[in-house]
Amino acid sequence: MDTTAPENQAHDPADDRTAAELADAESLIEEVSIDGMCGVY
Amino acid sequence: MPGIDMDRAWDLHPQVSVRPEPFGALLYHFGTRKLSFLKDRRLLAVVQTLKDAPTARDACATAGVPAPDLDRYGAALAALHRSSMLVERTP
Repeated sequence: MDTTAPENQAHDPADDRTAAELADAESLIEEVSIDGMCGVY
Repeated sequence: MPGIDMDRAWDLHPQVSVRPEPFGALLYHFGTRKLSFLKDRRLLAVVQTLKDAPTARDACATAGVPAPDLDRYGAALAALHRSSMLVERTP
C-alpha cells in the first residue's frame, strides 16, 4: 500500500492572490496573438 | 506573478500603436505581433496618461481610477507589462 502523500497539496495563499490578480486583469484586458493567423495581413 | 511597481514611471513600448474603440481600445505591438484589447475606457485613459505621469499610481489618479479599483488596474498594467506593451521609463 502506497502511503506517500503528494507533497504539493499544501494550500498557498499566494495562489489565491495570483488567481485574483489574473481575474482582475482579465476583466479589463484581453490578449491575443495574431501569429499563425492566415489572411490577417 | 509579479505585478508592476505602481510608484515607478511607465510608458507604452515605442512599437505599440493604440486605437481607441467604443469598448476601450486596441493595442497592437509591431514587434511581438500581439494584440491587447482594453475593455475599459478608463484603462485607456490610464495608458495614455502614463507617458506624462511620474508614476503609474499618478496616472491612475489623473485618469480618475477610484482608490478601491487601484489593484484591479495595477493588475491590468502588470499584464500589459508581461506582454511587453508597457516599459519602465526614467521620469
